[in-house]
Amino acid sequence: MSKRQLAMVMDLNKCIGCQTCTVACKTQWTNRNGREYMYWNNVETYPGTGYPKNWMELGGGFDAAGDLQPGVIPNLEADYGVPWDYNYESLMGGMSDSNNFHPHVSPTWGPNWDEDQGAGAFPQDNYFFYLPRICNHCTNPGCLSACPRDAIFKREEDGVVLVDLDRCQGYRYCIAGCPYKKIYFNPKISKSEKCILCFPRIEQGLPPACAQQCVGRIRFVGFLDDEESQVYKLVHKYKVALGLRSDYGTQPNVYYIPPTESPAKFDAEGKIIEGSTRLPIEELEKLFGPAVHDAIKTLKDEMKKRKETGVSELLDLLIAYQHKDMFRLDNNYYQEVAKAAKRNPLAPVDTRYIAGKFTQAGGHH
Amino acid sequence: MKKLLTTILSLGVAASAALAADSITAVKVSDVNDASAWAKAKFTSVVLYPQSAIHMNDKKANAANENNKAKKADVAALYDSKNIALMVKWADGTKNVQGSYSSDTYSDGFAVQFAGITKGSQPLPYIGMGSAGRPVVVHLQKATEKVYEPNGNKDVSTQINRNQTALFGDELKAYDAKVASLAKTDYERVFVAEGFRSLTEIKDGSVASNANMTYDGKGWTGTLVRPLNDTYMKSSGTVPVAIAVWDGEKMGRNGLKNLSPWVSINLEGQKPDAKIVAETTEAPKGDAAKGKEAVAANGCAGCHQIEATDAPSFMGPSLANVGGYSSVAYLRESILKPSAVIVPGYNRNAHSNTPWYNIEKGKRVSAMTDFSFLDKKTVEDIVAYLKTLKAEVE
Repeated sequence: MSKRQLAMVMDLNKCIGCQTCTVACKTQWTNRNGREYMYWNNVETYPGTGYPKNWMELGGGFDAAGDLQPGVIPNLEADYGVPWDYNYESLMGGMSDSNNFHPHVSPTWGPNWDEDQGAGAFPQDNYFFYLPRICNHCTNPGCLSACPRDAIFKREEDGVVLVDLDRCQGYRYCIAGCPYKKIYFNPKISKSEKCILCFPRIEQGLPPACAQQCVGRIRFVGFLDDEESQVYKLVHKYKVALGLRSDYGTQPNVYYIPPTESPAKFDAEGKIIEGSTRLPIEELEKLFGPAVHDAIKTLKDEMKKRKETGVSELLDLLIAYQHKDMFRLDNNYYQEVAKAAKRNPLAPVDTRYIAGKFTQAGGHH
Repeated sequence: MKKLLTTILSLGVAASAALAADSITAVKVSDVNDASAWAKAKFTSVVLYPQSAIHMNDKKANAANENNKAKKADVAALYDSKNIALMVKWADGTKNVQGSYSSDTYSDGFAVQFAGITKGSQPLPYIGMGSAGRPVVVHLQKATEKVYEPNGNKDVSTQINRNQTALFGDELKAYDAKVASLAKTDYERVFVAEGFRSLTEIKDGSVASNANMTYDGKGWTGTLVRPLNDTYMKSSGTVPVAIAVWDGEKMGRNGLKNLSPWVSINLEGQKPDAKIVAETTEAPKGDAAKGKEAVAANGCAGCHQIEATDAPSFMGPSLANVGGYSSVAYLRESILKPSAVIVPGYNRNAHSNTPWYNIEKGKRVSAMTDFSFLDKKTVEDIVAYLKTLKAEVE
């Protein structure tokens, strides 16, 4: 466990599936150098196959006894999807060529292949919601436990989980070990790579790109031990934000406000069935555990209270009137950490990510 | 090296594998980099056993490697005034090269492990990448295909997708040509290690080595040339080596490999190092049947998987092939002084309830009971039994 822990809370009631976060992340980190197929941030439709395909069935994580479970490494073409590109040059020569405009590989699968399909029968009881996912920067990371090279580490100062690219040799046990399949293999450099929680931004007091750009203002970022932070209040004070599949035993640090409201079902005549809800609570239980009942109750109670009295700290928090109301980061903290370690405060605090943990001669243990 | 290999293969040097012998003879030549020198090479058969000490967490790979057998490799060595050269030939029905745009393919490969420099006179390092204070140097070569990168310096930060450049027309063509010319084709690595997980790549160029491997449709021929002496090792008349091969077809990488025990290479015309030769060739003296009884009586199976058919344990390393790749001296030492060699292993978080070592005063102390109370004969019997634990040869 690290000294401090950064956390993110995502309010699923506000996610509209616009993929702005996905694009913010992709353009910042993964549109080049062998990472083209990776989505460190993705938004999938739930219920759905997800990304990579059926990730919840691919193993990893820990059992109740604390033993790492074996897992499967997804196939790039079948499970992630090959990112295809078009021969844009053919359009340069005039429209006569446009019949030849085609992707460079025949697309057979990709993220969001089943976007907005969901489950149930339209229009009676179909339903879905969006599930944005990044690395959970777990307190007990499956990837870290699986690595036989000590190439994955969790930063003491903020709990960000990073791959030491100097030590990584591309064995890919981390991918099998991560139950969320949020660590990827870069075939070009033959090493594993993953979401870095935009640590160079965080250290400057800026939220990660995905959170900064989110148009729905669903993402709250801060330190879990900071009682003034939004994440502390949502996770610990009101207990309305819950980890995703915490039954995998990795203690994830990305939390979700579960979808609270869902529309009623229609009967055969297309009339509303009063008191019915489309979203089965069992689905939410599967994702967020039994605590989801209490979380939804708290949210509904606070909504009622707000309606009646006009006052609710929780709802004010979730509304996030100002963009800055979602984040409580601490540039000064990182400056202090850098100062204590006698490092340039503008350089990334953990130089291991850049230079490698055991780069110095004889530094191995 | 490529040129050299082409010449070697065109010479058609046959692997004149002799009967299984304990030591390899390195033939003295004037220049190990002269391809014709291999005509004088004497091949010795070495058996490589499946590494089964620990169980990794890749479901598909575990299934593919469940019933692995031992493999035979033919090994020859040459030396000159500066360098030692090894040639390793092993059968492999499939040529596997890690795909340049794939997430779950793996390369065939081979590695040669040398004993590093230790303080004072110590037994050879632990076969699985050494142990604390007893380092090893590992040369790894993996089969590769061209991977296009805009630079050949492993300088990740300057790699750019051609679609991300501002280049068009002839400039883009020139860029593509530059990328193609810099396509990395080699995957050769040199590491130092004091126990697996501590494996650290030597990147500062302080080891002047050259490895290569070629496929002939039936198997691989790997070669390695490295100095007899450098910062990391000092050679006497006997150079102990261990050899490992990986099969990409079975998703082999890291511990999913076949490895040999320490084998002595005696430099022809020089005085062999009697201590190293004795350690690599020592035969067990005890009674294996009695040893089996002693293993049962002392409860070894409580923490170790003993035979391949026993249930796996997360606590101690599996002993299913320990007789194949471990020396008699190492087995004896492990029984009498369990803390003499403690590999960091894979992360203790992976199985948090079965920590196989504890840290006392900054030192790793094995969770295994010290069996030095056993009488000498019983220890030798156990060692003799353990030496029988190994997969049969393919």
